[in-house]
Amino acid sequence: MVHEDYKEMLAAHVLSALDAADQRVLDQHLSECAECRRELADWENTAASLALSARPVEPSPHVRDRIMSAARREKQDPQPDPRAERDARSQRDPRVVPFRQSRREVWASFGQVGAIAAAVLCLVLIIWIIVLWQQNRALRRNMDFMSRDMRAMQEELNRSNEFVTILSTPGARVASLAGTGPAPDATAQLVYDRTGNAVLMANGLPRVPQGKEYQLWFIVGNRPIPGRTFAPDDVGRGELSIEIPRQALESAVFAVTLEPAGGSTAPTSAIYLRSGL
Amino acid sequence: MRSEQSHDYDVELLQAVAAHDEAAETALAQLYDRYRLILFGVLVRILNNREEAEDVLQEVFLQVWRRAADFDPNRGRPFTWLVTLARSRGIDRLRSLASRERVAAMSGAEEAADVVSDAATDAIRSEQRGVVNDALSQLPEEQKRLLMLAYFDGLTQSEIAERLGAPLGTVKTRMRSGMMKLRELLSARGQYFD
Repeated sequence: MVHEDYKEMLAAHVLSALDAADQRVLDQHLSECAECRRELADWENTAASLALSARPVEPSPHVRDRIMSAARREKQDPQPDPRAERDARSQRDPRVVPFRQSRREVWASFGQVGAIAAAVLCLVLIIWIIVLWQQNRALRRNMDFMSRDMRAMQEELNRSNEFVTILSTPGARVASLAGTGPAPDATAQLVYDRTGNAVLMANGLPRVPQGKEYQLWFIVGNRPIPGRTFAPDDVGRGELSIEIPRQALESAVFAVTLEPAGGSTAPTSAIYLRSGL
Repeated sequence: MRSEQSHDYDVELLQAVAAHDEAAETALAQLYDRYRLILFGVLVRILNNREEAEDVLQEVFLQVWRRAADFDPNRGRPFTWLVTLARSRGIDRLRSLASRERVAAMSGAEEAADVVSDAATDAIRSEQRGVVNDALSQLPEEQKRLLMLAYFDGLTQSEIAERLGAPLGTVKTRMRSGMMKLRELLSARGQYFD
């Protein structure tokens, strides 16, 4: 657009008849062009003259009074800004506590409250996580205990079943073992069938020291044949499934000794349990 | 010339109002007395409602009371400043009023438009009014109509084109031609109004 185009827009501009887009470009030009600004004053006079084509009308007499009294009021109280007025009022009256926050302060206090709330929430979450973690650990420990107990009970049950199964087979035999010197309260039953399948169920055995296990022996004549090892539980109960060697089926004495874990080839300790001859 | 004396006097009045001193209220009252008819006439013509026009007239003079210091005699005339302020406030009010049902109000407005006494100030205005109406009567009717629609109805060029069913380009050309012709005729009569 050239300078002349803008000049041609001035006449419509003073009638405020330019459309928004035209108005924007002209405003931009006017801010930069002194010549157009000078010419604008001339056009403003022309437009204002149109006012004289309207018939003069007499306003109601009270309009003058209203204007003059409003002007007088503003002169006496030259702060028409209601916010400033309110502040001034609160400063004049010592009983009035000013309670006005700027928008920014309001948001800032929201921010502070928010930060505190977030910190508290964070702390609560951390504590909650710790509690949950401890509960989880305790539960897992309980579950470990329970599953160990269950395994032990299952083994015991299996052993009992086995015991009963063997006991119910034709020709089954039961040997009772009694506690001796180091284990006077211990007792055990050994049940075995004709093929040598056997289950030992012992009670009242002393706890075994670290690295030690009980071992079952089949004593044929004076010769001890090593059997398998086992460890009793906390109440001194122990079970063992074994196969009795064929040569020990008829005339053996059964004995239990305390041996290094894994068992020995020949007894190294005193007899804890033994069957009658 | 009476017109120049009037211009100087109005400048003094506006400066007295701007000073907000003892004389300010009297100066405001005098400005009101000198301009109430022309400004109220413009507002009634724009709004076609006396109550609205009186309300806006009060706004205009309170604006004068607060903003008289904005008037710069080196950049414009008191007449133009005051008339432009009133017309602008009137158009703002017109646009803010939801309806533009001016037809119904038209007859009432005609009755309300009590033609004025021939006070001393109005004698000058009557002469000026004659010059303006004379100049307008020399414009082609369609150009005159465009100027009236823009000035008193506050319509933009697009709105006028739509209302008249005329091409926008034609509206722009006629508006410019009408304003140029008016300016020529008025300056030929040495007539800008104070």
